[in-house]
This record gives sequence, C-alpha cells and structure tokens, in this order.
Amino acid sequence: MIPQDRFRSLFPKYLLALFVAVAIPLAFNGVIEGWFGYRDQRARLDQWLGLQSASAAAEIHDFIHGVTTQLGWLVQLPWTEEPDERRRTDALRLLRQAPAITSLTLLDGNGLERLYISRIGLNRIESRADRSADPALAGARVAQVWFSEVSYNRGSEPYLTVSIVGNRPAVGVVVADVNLKLIWDVISAIKFGKTGYAFVLDRSGRLIAHPDISLVLRGAEEATSEPFRAIRDAIGPGRGFATSRDAQGHYVAASAAPVQGPDWTVVVEQPLSEAYAPLYAALWRTVMLLAMSSILAGILAYVLADRMTVPIKLLEEGTEKIGAGSFDHRISIHTRDEFQRLANSFNRMASELEQAQQHQERIAKLKRFLAPQVADLVDRAGDDSVLDGRRTEVVVVFCDLRGFTAFSAGAAPEEVMSVLSEYYETLGRVIAEFEATLINFSGDGLMVLVNAPVPIEEPALRAIDLAVDMQRNVQALIAGWRSHGYHVGFGVGLASGPATVGRIGYKDRLDYTAIGSVVNLAARLCASAADKEVLIDAEVAAAVKGKRPLEELGDRKIKGFDEAIPIFGISFSCL
Amino acid sequence: MRCANSRAVTLRRRAKRRDVLLLMAGIATWTTKSFAQKPSLPVIGYLCPESPELFATRLQAFQQGLGEAGFVEGRNVKIDYRWARGEYSRLRALAAELVARNVDIIVAPGGAPVALAAKAVSSTKTIVFEMGGDPVQLQVVDSLSRPGGSITGVSSLSVDVSPKRLELMCDLVPTATKLTVVANPTSPTAQSQLQKLHAAAGTLGVRLDILDVSKEDEFETVFDTVAKDRASGLVFTSDPYFAFRSSQLAYLAKKYRVSAITQTRDFPVAGGLMSYGGDFMQSHRRAGLYAGRVLLGEKPSDLPVQLVTKVELVINLKAAKLLGHAFSSAFVAGADEVIE
Repeated sequence: MIPQDRFRSLFPKYLLALFVAVAIPLAFNGVIEGWFGYRDQRARLDQWLGLQSASAAAEIHDFIHGVTTQLGWLVQLPWTEEPDERRRTDALRLLRQAPAITSLTLLDGNGLERLYISRIGLNRIESRADRSADPALAGARVAQVWFSEVSYNRGSEPYLTVSIVGNRPAVGVVVADVNLKLIWDVISAIKFGKTGYAFVLDRSGRLIAHPDISLVLRGAEEATSEPFRAIRDAIGPGRGFATSRDAQGHYVAASAAPVQGPDWTVVVEQPLSEAYAPLYAALWRTVMLLAMSSILAGILAYVLADRMTVPIKLLEEGTEKIGAGSFDHRISIHTRDEFQRLANSFNRMASELEQAQQHQERIAKLKRFLAPQVADLVDRAGDDSVLDGRRTEVVVVFCDLRGFTAFSAGAAPEEVMSVLSEYYETLGRVIAEFEATLINFSGDGLMVLVNAPVPIEEPALRAIDLAVDMQRNVQALIAGWRSHGYHVGFGVGLASGPATVGRIGYKDRLDYTAIGSVVNLAARLCASAADKEVLIDAEVAAAVKGKRPLEELGDRKIKGFDEAIPIFGISFSCL
Repeated sequence: MRCANSRAVTLRRRAKRRDVLLLMAGIATWTTKSFAQKPSLPVIGYLCPESPELFATRLQAFQQGLGEAGFVEGRNVKIDYRWARGEYSRLRALAAELVARNVDIIVAPGGAPVALAAKAVSSTKTIVFEMGGDPVQLQVVDSLSRPGGSITGVSSLSVDVSPKRLELMCDLVPTATKLTVVANPTSPTAQSQLQKLHAAAGTLGVRLDILDVSKEDEFETVFDTVAKDRASGLVFTSDPYFAFRSSQLAYLAKKYRVSAITQTRDFPVAGGLMSYGGDFMQSHRRAGLYAGRVLLGEKPSDLPVQLVTKVELVINLKAAKLLGHAFSSAFVAGADEVIE
C-alpha cells in the first residue's frame, strides 16, 4: 500500500463525493436553522422590548396619574364665599405628600384664584384674581384633566402644568406645577437586561426624563434632544423595535410606547450587541455545530473512501501481479461484498491460468518427442505415467544421410544448415503424421520409436510405412539438392524387439529414450543401409509379411552381433 | 495525513503565539498598575468654610455621593482637606493652596463665598460647588443648563426661599407687625435676599428690622434685642455662617425665649423653633456625585447646575410650647418633619 498513490486515484474522488454528500445536507440544515433561529430571536426581542416599553410607559403614567389622583382631592367640595381654611390645610398636606408638585393654584367656579401655595414663592390666599382666561382652566373644562406643554424653568428644569376640574363647576379647578425632575426616581429605576434603560420625550421630542439627570437639565437644547428624537423617529408609529444609533454613535435596539394624557413617548433602548447577544450565541452555536459536523463528515468520508479504495487497490495490485505471471498470487479481501466476490473470481481465474500454464508446459515437454496428437492425448489423460520406465516391444527406426560429412566439410555453413533444416522439417512432418515418437537427432542422424510410450496397433507395419515415407520424401529433397550439386544419399534401418523405455536425464533436461539391443540393431541396420535403402530385421519383416512387398537380402554380418543376421529390404519406389 | 499534520503544527504555533501575547499583555498591565497606581490616584481638594466637626454631616453626604460614582476615599481617591474654620476671609488663600498642590478637582461646598473664592483663584481648575444661592445671579456660572468654563455644582434653593421664612413666621405669629431679619453683610447674597424680603414684607404687611451680624459674638446682642418684644420673631437670612452655627442659635433662642426661623434643619433639631430651606443632604450628595463624574472624565461644562428638589419645613413642637406659640393644624400638616 503506497499512500501517495491514493491522492491521484479514486481516493480523492470518493473522499470529495462522500464529504459533499454528508456536508451539503448538514450545511443546508444549519443555514435553515440559523435563519429560523434569527427570525425567532428577532420576534422574541421585539416582544420583549415591546413589553419593556409598555411597562416603562405604565410606570411613567403611574407617576402622572399619582399626581392627578392626589389633586383630585382638592376639587370635590364646592367653594363658598368664605375663605376655606380646611382646603388650605389639604393643599399644604398635598404639597408634603407629592414632592413633585412645586405649587398649587385653586380656582373657584368663576375662575377666581382662591388659593395659591408654593414651595418657593409666597402663598396667596383669597387673592380673587380673575384667572378665567388661563388656558389651564379652559383646557381642564374641556378634557377634565389638562396637561400643558413641558416648559423648562430657567432653561433647565422641565416643568409640567396639570389642571383638573371637579365633577361640577362649583368645585372649581386645581392647577399644579409639577417638577418633572422627580420622574428621575422612576426612570432611573427602570432597568432591563444588563444596560437597558428608558427615557421620555414630550410631544415635540424634547427630553424630559433620562437616567442621566444632566441630560434632562439640557433637554430644552436641540443638540441634547436630537439624538433621542432620532431614535423615536426611527421606531416610527408602527409597532415593533427598531435599530438606531444613540448620541455616542453606538447601535441600539429601541422600542417605544405612548404615555396617555400628557402625550409623551417612553422609549426603551438597549445596546444592539446586548440585545442580539442570544442571537449571536445561537448563530455561533450553529456555526460551531456546522464546523464540527463538517469535520465529522470529513473523517467519515475519509474512512469510507479508504474502505472502498483499499480493496480496489488490492484488486489492482493483484491483477497486476497475476498479469505479470505470478499465477500463484492470491488476492486477500474479506469485505463480504462484491469486492470479495470479485477477488474470489480473480483468484479462481489465476488458479485456472496456473493450471493452463502447467498444462501448456507439460504439452510443450511432451511435444519434444511425441507427435502433437499423441502429446495431446497424453496430456488429456491428466498424468504422464505413460512416460515412466518399463519394458515393452518397440520398433526402432534410425535414418541418416549418406555422404553428409563430406558435403558439410566442403559446403558453406549456411548451405549445410539450410539442407539440414529442410531435411528435418520434412522428417518431422512424416514422424508426426505417423504418430511416432522422436527420440533424438544428432547431426544428420535421427532415432524414432514406434509403440512407445503410446502403444499402437501393428507397430511394425506403421514403422515400415513411416520408413518408406521418410525415404520417399527425403529422396525428393535429394533430387533437388543434386541440382545444386550436393551429393548426399539417405538410408533407413529399423528393428523390432523388447527394449526398456522411459525418461532419462535430469531436471528440465529430460529425454524419452529406449535402451536395448534392438536399438543397436536398428542403428547398425541404418549404418549398413545404402542410399535409397530401407533395411529391416527379421522380426519386423515377419510382422508385415504379406502386407508389404519385402525382399530378402540374405544374412549379413552386422557389427556388434556375433552371427550374421537375416536382413530384409523394401523398395520404396514400388510402394 | 500530511495536511492534518501541518495544520496541527500551525495550531500549536498559533497557541504558542497567543500565550506569548497574553503573557506580554499581563506584564504590561502589571507594570502600568504597579508603576502608575500611586501617582494616578486622583486627588480632590476639599475647600471647607468650617471646621470638620460642624461639617461632619455634609461631608458624609458628599462622600455618599462620591460613592455612588464609584469612588471611596483612601481606596481610589484621595481628599485633600482645607478647613477655614469660620474665617471666610481665609478661603482664597486655602483655595490657592489647593491649586498649588495641583489637585485634580476642587470641591467648594457650603455656600457662595466658598465657590467664589475657588473661582477667583483659578479659572482653569475644575470646581464643583454646593451653595444655597443662585449661581447665575452670583455670576458663578453662565446658565443653569450650560454652566460654561470649568465650574458646575448644586444649588439648594435656600437663598430663594428666604421670603418663605418670613411668611412662615407671619403665619405662626399673626399678630406681629414687626419682624427682625438677621443678615450677614459679608455674604454675597445678602443684598438680593434683603431686597426680596422687603418685597415680601410689603405683601405680608409687616415691618422689617434688619440686623447685621458677621461674627459669632454678635449673636447674643441680636437675641437680647428681640427678646424684649414678645410679639416679634427672628428671621435668619440664608447664610452658611448662620447655618453652621445652628446649635449656638438654638441655645440662644431657648435662653432668650425668642421665636426664630433659619434655613437648616439643624436648628429645630438642636431645640430651635423651625427651619425652612433646601435639603442639604441632597445637595451635598449630588455635589459628591458630580465630583465623581468629573473624575471619571466628564467635562464640567457638560454637567448642568442642579437645583435641589426638596425644600423642607422642620418644626419643633417642644420649642413652640416653650415659647407659648401654637402651630395651626395646617402648619403641622405642611411640615416635612415635626420634632416633639
């Protein structure tokens, strides 16, 4: 297993495909989840800020409502012409009870000032000044409770004038100056989240309450109120929160609610970073999950791709080895799937190839001395025990060229080889045709065996026919050679008898041969044979008597044999 | 494999780099802390017209306000005190001392003379005042919302309500045709207060006797003079010198059986008849808060002058009984605090 190979093969493709297959749905899921999370969080923030602004507005309303409720006590009994000492006591008590009220004016049903009580200025009792033209009086008569525009005392402290009428004209009207600085106690107590706070703007957008009192004391200035008004305007009349920038330029999320009565607006604001903190946390969580699942997808893809490519790699290597001839190589895959099946069939193929190769080798070996048909026959039998040593009746055929040694000495090597080549080619064809067994050849001589290793019927007859055919074919060649001026002849000798046959030699150099006097006899007969002559021993002659025209050549003294032996001949030209 | 390795190496390297940065940041903070801590502790120059004993309640309120801004004396702020001990003529010299010591901010509590002294000495040093008078009228600031310059503070409205004291005395002693007003001729607000008092006297239909007092030892003479006229009362103008001598005045009022009204609750608490004036606890506390905000970096010109929201009437029923006066039920009902 060579790791680098992986990076320019199937591995990266599988890795990418698997990773994408896992990562894309995850990413899609993450994005969808993030989007819905964002929407949910925004809706929640909207709801929450709306709640904060509503409750802040309720608290500011309570402050104003508290003042008006207290003032209500002073307009319940009708005025008489007499100075009303009890009402003065009530007014003083009220002033003590409501610290935001700095002065009180009580007017009777005719709009005459009956009592004025102040924390700073001198009180006036029964001044009877005509205040019927006072807008506070007119306003209260229309709307029961009247609120003035906010005014800034000496350009600094915001004041509101409130007037209230009783349930009938005779009880008169109470007009009170309210120091709005005291809303600070309420507004500074309104806190939400970590740094969220509220502020109040009047109808024209001037700051009248803020946790930082020093801003309120400059509320009359355009520069102070402008950024706050911008936030209010960013929210607009519609419901829901808005994002804007505060005086310091920080982004804030703000929501507004109206204060009924004086027609103010309470705005709650929170730094955007704080308001969106849960949103950011959720997004961050999603991103982290995405990153983690991507890593997981990567690991998964790596493992899967590895599992897929490793068997393929094994198959690749295995087939390469088998292709290179290592038929004994076996691919080892145990994945219990198509890969294993594929590997098994490769292994099967390899073993079949191995068998085929052994078969081929065996046949090639047999073909060296057996005729191809015979070799095939032997091979099909599945074993080569036919080649084992045994003693049997054989016909041995020897042949060689006459005068070849003289010819080869005088001729060029190319000519010699050409002659030999033609000669053996012709003989080989004849031997194969007669299914004889070629034992060996040396120089121009050749030994052929009939009836071994495969026994045949009438071996003698076959051997005669073989010899005659050899003689005929070679003589045809010789006729051609003569035209070239080569003077050679061809003689054949054959003998039959028992001989020991079998393989001799060592390792790959094995030959099939026959050993016995019959071999010597055949060799001697061949040596005795003249050109165009086929010499046959008595045994063969007896076997073919009547079947082939033989002529008796009488007894001849053969070298190596004590006695003269009867020799027969056959004329190939007459066959 | 190779890629994962290289990434691990980068991470490790990055982690190392981060550690080094953290370490460096830590060293930087540690060194700046250790080297800069002592000299950078801000110093408040506290210019006080009186002695520590008389000023104890005010100082406590001031420190409470300072605490609201996150400052605690000795821990993250130093206070350099200068006590004039009633000698208001020394205020300038003391203010100059504070300027020379290069304090970060001068706090001038306890009245207009202190603020004016501080302002006269330095126009660039940040000053936070606490006074009863109108700082605009006294030309301490340009306007309430935009003080201008480097000065701001709190006003307790005590000066504004002087005529109210006359009215209350008239309420208590309806038979009185003549009331005695005690004024401090050295006070920068004396003239304006007397002007208002005369106008109020016209409305209320009483005559005024003006007595000037600028020294402690002159008090006894004043009480002695008034004691002869049972149908009269003593109305003190708003003045820190009087305010800080409330116990002495209460003692003399008891001794000479004189009905008197001052600006500070210390007077009825010490046995005097009544008081009407701004809540000094509130004004000193807010001065403390402003001092803290200036130390935190806010510009004094961005801090509008604050007016105290609470003006309180404190009455002592025991003293009234002793003097043979009876507070009407309306009077008692309107009082913020009744001492029995």
